Amino acid sequence: MAKGKKKGLDFTIELIPVISLMSVCICFLLLTAVWIRIGSVNVKQAVGGQAASETQKKPTVWVALDGKGSASFEVRDSRVPARLQRLKVQGVDGKPDLEKIKTLIGDLRTAEPALITALIQPDGQAVYEHIIDVMDSFKKNGVIDLGVTPL
Amino acid sequence: MLNSSIVKGQAMSSVIGESSILAPTGTDRKRGITSDLLLTALIDAFSILIVFLLLSFSSTGDLLSLSKDTELPSAAGEDLERHPVVKFESGKYFIENKEVTTNDLVQALLDLRKSHQEMRAGEEFPGILTVQADRRVKFEQLSAIVQASAQAGFGDIKFAVLMK
Repeated sequence: MAKGKKKGLDFTIELIPVISLMSVCICFLLLTAVWIRIGSVNVKQAVGGQAASETQKKPTVWVALDGKGSASFEVRDSRVPARLQRLKVQGVDGKPDLEKIKTLIGDLRTAEPALITALIQPDGQAVYEHIIDVMDSFKKNGVIDLGVTPL
Repeated sequence: MLNSSIVKGQAMSSVIGESSILAPTGTDRKRGITSDLLLTALIDAFSILIVFLLLSFSSTGDLLSLSKDTELPSAAGEDLERHPVVKFESGKYFIENKEVTTNDLVQALLDLRKSHQEMRAGEEFPGILTVQADRRVKFEQLSAIVQASAQAGFGDIKFAVLMK
């Protein structure tokens, strides 16, 4: 019987192929990387369907937004206190006062927890960014069903 | 001053100090201009870079093509999925990168809906549209898209935003 020579347990890793592989991998990932993360704010539009009289009415806040950043709130079909039913938040430097709007939405949600629907009515001069900011404020406060009314 | 300070001792014993040709030895002995490559550190850096890039890797790629003049508004939105894109750019409307006039918006969206239903017969029409526009645009220019989408049966509009 042939007696085999004992082999050592140590082995070497070839570093050059490892580094080459890593470099190729890094190049591929750098080329295919998406650096800007784009998301979406979802809005539901009314498309045909039942007559308005047949649908169950739910608390809704209507927000009229103008080009100067002022937002007029009107709560409908809700039992919120009268002082919260119609309010106007003036814009600051042509932008909506988001802090005040967030506070107001929070107050409305406390008074009417079932309030999850908001309809934004921008006028023609309202800036797209401001509309999205107002929507974002609603979403962050749990008002998730949003709609935008066309002119 | 450096010779008597504790800094000198530290500098001499460091890996960089020993491998660098700039090591302040102060001797006249000629040193080789070659330096050792620290492979462990290199592989560590490569590994960290690969892990970071793998985590930020997106298999879907870019769903929207943004021109250099377009800045999206930012919001804490949801992840974007692939849906028909209506774009307002440089005063023009585009549906899937094809220019359309304001008057043709509804018809173009109806055509899009029809082709979708023909391609995927039996499937329910999702009626979802992605709207892409610059953050400084006035609503009077976007209103036509909102109105046309409702008329063409696209009940869900996704406004493209930069994620906060």
